[in-house]
Amino acid sequence: MRFFRQDLHTLTGAYALDALDSARETARFSRHLSRCQSCAAEVRGFREVATAMAFAATTEAPAAMREQVMTAAARTRQLPPEVRTHARPRRTRGSAPWIPWLSGAVATAAIAVAVFFGFSQAHTQDQLNAARAQSHALAAEQARVEAELTQAREHDQALAQILGAPHVTLLSHSTSKGGVAVVVLDAATRKLVVATSGLPALPAGQVYQLWLIGPVKIVSAGLLPAAQAGVTTPVVATGIVKGDKLGLTVEPAGGSKQPTTTPIVALPLPV
Amino acid sequence: MNPNDSDASRFRPATADRRGERDLDDLLVHVARGDQGAFETLYDRMVGPVYGVIRKVLRDPAQSEEVAQEVLLEVWRNAARFDPAMGGAATWVTTIAHRRAIDRIRSTTAAAEREQRTADVSPPHDEVAEAVEASLDRERVRRCLEGLTEVQRESITLAYYGGNSYRQVAELLNVTLGAIKTRIRDGLIRMRDCLGVS
Repeated sequence: MRFFRQDLHTLTGAYALDALDSARETARFSRHLSRCQSCAAEVRGFREVATAMAFAATTEAPAAMREQVMTAAARTRQLPPEVRTHARPRRTRGSAPWIPWLSGAVATAAIAVAVFFGFSQAHTQDQLNAARAQSHALAAEQARVEAELTQAREHDQALAQILGAPHVTLLSHSTSKGGVAVVVLDAATRKLVVATSGLPALPAGQVYQLWLIGPVKIVSAGLLPAAQAGVTTPVVATGIVKGDKLGLTVEPAGGSKQPTTTPIVALPLPV
Repeated sequence: MNPNDSDASRFRPATADRRGERDLDDLLVHVARGDQGAFETLYDRMVGPVYGVIRKVLRDPAQSEEVAQEVLLEVWRNAARFDPAMGGAATWVTTIAHRRAIDRIRSTTAAAEREQRTADVSPPHDEVAEAVEASLDRERVRRCLEGLTEVQRESITLAYYGGNSYRQVAELLNVTLGAIKTRIRDGLIRMRDCLGVS
């Protein structure tokens, strides 16, 4: 669909309320924002209105949540500030619309990866050192992450490439068996990274298998590695075509050529 | 930890209470340095709006709690990426919260439940009525919402609190897409002026 410029401008309101119709439309509008300073300023003002509406909706949260969040935070390494020196081409600071759909997407992806995948894409030695200095309590966790990283270095390059892409989309969905699958999708290169957290452990002789479920055919996207502390390390899948869903099934050890059980999650992939 | 307890010090959106806002920005800076005490304070100040807005959109308490936890952990992890030049901390946090709720609602299986939900979405007037209670935020927002035309008010509440896309809002209100875009924008301009957003 083509928009007239004026038409596009009237989308500031819907955009600020996260009410655009699709990830694609949101991405398109984000690009427009990076070129339209008045639109970006308008969106900022509207976001403040939205903030007021959020405060007006203030509701007392379950008390137990606090402890859970604090415990999780204590175990969770923080991301370092964005390092602009080796940044990929970015919008300049002055004209950049802050708002997350796009500019935050990369950071968001990194969070998902860090939280669910157990490590972050920012893993140069310097950054690890800086992070270590930040908190002694996290040293053990970092040592684990470093070991994991050394092991996964090659794999990780493919990961970093996807996570560093300018327009990644973060998708997550809980599975019908519990737990959650987190996907970072780079629609431009038709690649994704997927990891899971909290899936129930399978009996010996069974594995979780990933699928790209298309309108005409289903292709295996590999097996999920065994979980460590409930989290599976990231798997990269490529060659996504329009209409594909990412599926996850339980299969006999070694995997199957085609799924033999009902997917426990089937996540549409907007490419 | 009741966020309503410290009305005087906590951030009041879209008012002249810039000191409160800056406090929250400062807190986030400390959080970014790994200060867990600062994170606890930030949590206490923000959990109400975060949980509240997610709850508005998702309605289901268990899902809302799950998403709110993810959001607050995201704030912890990502604090160093917060850029005060781009907007206040409260806006940063509530934007993440609203977006995560929307992500959840627009993901697969939620779609089915959503059909149901859209059907029995409360009339926006109820949303306003619900908000009558004490808090100044509620009062101010309620008053400003009431200053809108009916279509503007319904469009904004169905989009923001109802988690509907503008296309869905257009269908619900039986108005053209172009008209909805304009109503939402015009309504937000009036809200912005009414709330005194700079």
